Amino acid sequence: MAGEVTGGGGRWRAVQGGAWVLAAALLLTGCAHRDRIVVGSKNFTESDLLGEIVAQQIERRAGLPVERRFHLGGTFVCHHAITAGQIDLYVEYTGTAYTAVLKHVPVAVPDSVYRSVVRDYLQRFGLVWGKPLGFNNTFAITVRRRDAARDGLRRISDLARLAPRWKAGFGYEFLERADGFRGLAATYGLRFASPPIAMDLGLTYRALAQGKVDVIAGNSTDGQIQALDLVVLEDDRHYFPPYEAAPVIRQATLARHSGVGAALEELAGRISDSEMRRLNARVDVAHEDIATIARDWLKINLP
Amino acid sequence: MSLWDFYARNSGEVLGLVGQHVSLVASSTAIAIVVGVPVGIALTRRPAWRAPVLGLANVFQTIPSLALFGFLIPLPFIGGIGATTAIVALVVYALLPIVRNTYTGLAGVDPAVREAGRGMGMTDWQLLTQVELPLGLGVILAGVRVATVVSVGTATIAAAIGAGGLGVYIFRGVAVVDNTLILAGALPAALMALAADGLLGLAERRFAWRAK
Repeated sequence: MAGEVTGGGGRWRAVQGGAWVLAAALLLTGCAHRDRIVVGSKNFTESDLLGEIVAQQIERRAGLPVERRFHLGGTFVCHHAITAGQIDLYVEYTGTAYTAVLKHVPVAVPDSVYRSVVRDYLQRFGLVWGKPLGFNNTFAITVRRRDAARDGLRRISDLARLAPRWKAGFGYEFLERADGFRGLAATYGLRFASPPIAMDLGLTYRALAQGKVDVIAGNSTDGQIQALDLVVLEDDRHYFPPYEAAPVIRQATLARHSGVGAALEELAGRISDSEMRRLNARVDVAHEDIATIARDWLKINLP
Repeated sequence: MSLWDFYARNSGEVLGLVGQHVSLVASSTAIAIVVGVPVGIALTRRPAWRAPVLGLANVFQTIPSLALFGFLIPLPFIGGIGATTAIVALVVYALLPIVRNTYTGLAGVDPAVREAGRGMGMTDWQLLTQVELPLGLGVILAGVRVATVVSVGTATIAAAIGAGGLGVYIFRGVAVVDNTLILAGALPAALMALAADGLLGLAERRFAWRAK
């Protein structure tokens, strides 16, 4: 008798449990894009940080719940995710969208790059570019400060005479991209002693600081550049296109939630190159929490 | 571009990377055997060392490869960038199965057999080389087999430190999300792992059979 009662209770609990699972599943699939905004980011510090700033800005200004899908595997994963509606927005760079997504030949004119990504994204993908956040995160051809001082290096064109005796180490993306190493070498006539060593981007900074390679291609807003006493050479022949960061958002999301557009608008032009470098250093060098940094920054800059 | 077109067009490069990959795996596994087997034997003689040594080998397994490379870059001789650093990392990851299986293989020898040997007046060295190692060889080889197969997969991270290997295609493919490139690296690595597993499995069965 007792066994029967417990058995019945167990079945009832199973039914209840099943109902909850079903309800949760419906909630997750059915309402995924109705009552909350999904923010994505690429798999590096700056993208995570900007994603968090954008997410918190939407939470506090538009009052919408935000789901974070951070550290996705690079430009293409983010692009596929946003065109498929898996995420509503993420922060992209104009030059990356122009060359890597739209496959245009690199050009170094900021206004025309921004204008054409705005036009092409809307026509081809139904995606809207917000106003740029203010900084330009370009590829940074970087050397040790003491080498720059000793050999009088200031511009990338100064590198051409030293290259035959120098060793370069680059990340795989820089070696592969249309706006990467091949074009750079052709533009500046760089001929290194041996082909550049292909390695993980994060490790190139350490390899440079430790003297294992002599020149790398970092990101100009990386906190590591100052922390490791490195200098960035000037792109005096304007090879690299501008990489201005701006939020990219689905047109449908913008139409459904009017508050989101206004919240993003407030961020336009608010983060300078040096400001972005300082924020990145707080994560990479001082190891502070991204959510805290974003909250502090919003409180001070957009009270 | 299909995978076969890619191989046809880049056959020289593919063969070069396969060669690099094989030599990374072969040299690191060889070093891990030379280091790991004596350590495993020592553990059967000094039971107090067992927990700390196996614990350390366990900890090595858990260090993420990029973090390990970060530690190794500044070190002289075993560090820097290139094949040396990659081999050091691969040895570190291969040690656990080899040390553990050597210990288990020798410790699993029937105590009665060991006693019989001792009763015949065998020295410790004779006992080791004529009784324990032949009887434990099957288990030791199983450890080498696991270490080798895992190494074939792990060796793809060598590409992160400029040491080449099939990981180059995987890293390049991931950087630009080109599935053909990723497959071009992953497929030969998988075939290589299967081949290594098959060959060493054959050797293992042969020696285990002889030991009986």
